[in-house]
Amino acid sequence: MNHAYSITAAELAARGRDDIPPELLSSAHLIYSSPATLAFNSPGAQGFGVKRAGLAVPGSVMLLVAPACCGRNTSALGCEAALAERFFYLMQDDTDIVTGRHLARIPEAVKEVCDSCAVRPSAVMICITCVDALLGTDMERVCRKASDYAGVPVVPCYMYALTREGRLPPMVSVRRSVYSLLQPREKVPTSVNILGFFSPLRDDTELYTLLRAAGVRAIREISRCADYEEYQKMAEANFNLVLNQEARHAAADLQKRLGIPSVELARLYQTDKIANQYRLLGQAVGAEFDDAPYREQAEQAIVNFKNTFGHRTFAVGEWLNADPFELSLSLIRNGFAVSEIFGTVGESNFIYVKKIAALSPDTRIYSNLSPSMMFYDGADAQCDTVIGRDAMYYHPALPGVAWNDEHQPFGYAGVAALFDELNKALSGGMGAAR
Amino acid sequence: MKSLLKHLSPFAPDQSGAVSALFDFGGLIVICDAGGCTGNICGFDEPRWFIRRSAVFSAGLRDMDAILGRDDKLVAKLQSAMDGSGLKFSAIIGTPVPAIIATDFKALKRMAEKRTGLPAITVPATGTRHYDRGASDAWLELFKTFATEKLDIDPGTVGVLGASPLDFPALDAGNLLSDAIKKDGWKSVKCYGMGAGLDDVKKASSAAKNIVVSPAGLAAAKHLQKTFGTPYEVRCPWLPEQVLDALPSLAGEKTLVIHQQVAANAVRDEILKHDAASHVDVASWFIMELEFMRANDFHIESEEAFIEAVANGGYDAIVCDSRLRVALPRTQTFNIIDFPHFAVSGRLLDEVK
Repeated sequence: MNHAYSITAAELAARGRDDIPPELLSSAHLIYSSPATLAFNSPGAQGFGVKRAGLAVPGSVMLLVAPACCGRNTSALGCEAALAERFFYLMQDDTDIVTGRHLARIPEAVKEVCDSCAVRPSAVMICITCVDALLGTDMERVCRKASDYAGVPVVPCYMYALTREGRLPPMVSVRRSVYSLLQPREKVPTSVNILGFFSPLRDDTELYTLLRAAGVRAIREISRCADYEEYQKMAEANFNLVLNQEARHAAADLQKRLGIPSVELARLYQTDKIANQYRLLGQAVGAEFDDAPYREQAEQAIVNFKNTFGHRTFAVGEWLNADPFELSLSLIRNGFAVSEIFGTVGESNFIYVKKIAALSPDTRIYSNLSPSMMFYDGADAQCDTVIGRDAMYYHPALPGVAWNDEHQPFGYAGVAALFDELNKALSGGMGAAR
Repeated sequence: MKSLLKHLSPFAPDQSGAVSALFDFGGLIVICDAGGCTGNICGFDEPRWFIRRSAVFSAGLRDMDAILGRDDKLVAKLQSAMDGSGLKFSAIIGTPVPAIIATDFKALKRMAEKRTGLPAITVPATGTRHYDRGASDAWLELFKTFATEKLDIDPGTVGVLGASPLDFPALDAGNLLSDAIKKDGWKSVKCYGMGAGLDDVKKASSAAKNIVVSPAGLAAAKHLQKTFGTPYEVRCPWLPEQVLDALPSLAGEKTLVIHQQVAANAVRDEILKHDAASHVDVASWFIMELEFMRANDFHIESEEAFIEAVANGGYDAIVCDSRLRVALPRTQTFNIIDFPHFAVSGRLLDEVK
């Protein structure tokens, strides 16, 4: 192994979904850690890992119950003033790991944490890790006991990295955790929740306008809830809009517990598919959305970019607010070229690989996690523009956009914003939007 | 509660120390975890990782790997990554997962060596200990594995043991330490892990002396003394300028110095140089070797104990990583001299404002 493994879209599509080469499967090799993979390869690492996500409940604090190593990088999160005072740690030692005796200390620790806070927390999120996964800890029971003892809601958050590719990966599980405190309320027909992200959609997202035009008065996202009472109002929603499939499990739980049905929408960059999705949403909720002006705006942004910068060749990464394969397909369908995609091929996006293969068979696909990426050398790459923080890492000299802001792009507004940012990056020279 | 942190966040763990010790020797490092530990180590505890590509990998363990103990699968993956890579050895570092399932690291070492045909080092870190324990184990294992030949002694060469960014918060700390030692007349300084590589480790027996700059280097120094007769001394030849500049102001004050023990002792010596009558105590969250402690020095067992010791110690000044400030009693005021300790705060000197 002395070069980075890659495969063309045509070769991969020809092999089929059931014959993905082992070099692209993270379970088949060691996992390379590069700055390109840090954000998404660790459930506790940068961005919204389990720890930060668990604090999405307004007014909550988190008690990490784990060996000290699991809380180490929380120091970085704690640098943010808003979070600094919301993390607490109950550290396990070797004896705890062997005997599980730490479980008996949790209720007292929760009480001590609550007593030490200037404002009593709305809830205590208990974050547990691989250790308790292997010990088979019944944390629901421990949390009930702690809740009774400390007089505050206590909720488990499972940061089980070991189960990342299982039925309930950490980022799926934590979404269920953060909505689990919602208590039944009378339904309000004009109220809707948006589930999926831990930070809000961009303010200019047309989804807000379209929903309001359809008669929706209250659109709630957990990240926009000012306090615990506002958060509890999410229980009155008529339906949930699920914008990230990792929230599917949480939505199913809310349907079961609170009777709130859900509709799932995907984040897409192909404008015709966005239009189709809004049409289907309209049918589902009994409304007709006038999305044409927004579509026109997004498509105009693409035309403007193309008129200014001509035919560009992109490298697209996966550390960004998009599915890299869907975004690449969108770029190709809009007349651009995509020479490289750094992404994880799976069941949900293989369909895009097939479509890319038909339009751009020579597009090369790399796995960020392959050990061979240690030898990646972009000197021969054909790209001249990059999208995604990881792609920027591989091509530091090329202009591009990280496209991983916390405010989430969605719909036509997301498409327009992407091309606006690309426009700025290329106008201002490399690094303008980094 | 002793094990509860209400103000501070956890310090660098033993697996980070082990990786830090082995980072610069051209080996393939596998962290035996599910991904999270590797993220913490690379993304937080190893500042060199951000500036150059390195062969640090996660084993990518999944629940069934842990339940079934699939060591053969791990070694097969390791071999696949090693093949044709030009890397000189492999290192497998433990985390809580192998600690729980009682992974046999000695067996893993044998399996890895047999499969790759290259030396392998294993460090059974557990994630429950501090970085210096892991670093100490890694240094010892490194020298046991590679420094096996007794060579003629070069009287102008000195080795430096225990240097890593976790203890010396500067990416060029190896140069800074070496330059300071050269002022004592040494022609060649081998700062292992921060400048001196694997070939220098193999020739470790040719050093006339070793200087131990942190407690993490002591076990390796003792091993080299026992094996080759190389003498060692424990001292910190370099301290950050900004710290040195601030120390004269502490003359006559009752001062507590908190850092890794060797550096903290050096700070104390500096303060006493200015005023021999000053009262200076040394404390550390990390290894405190009894032989280098003075009366009133103490090991900090917990956040609770730290708060109590500071509140009742009658100190005027504290030399420490300023991140500890959040745990200091708010009813008292102290003259704080910031001496960054990467293992505590993840701050490098050039990030300090």
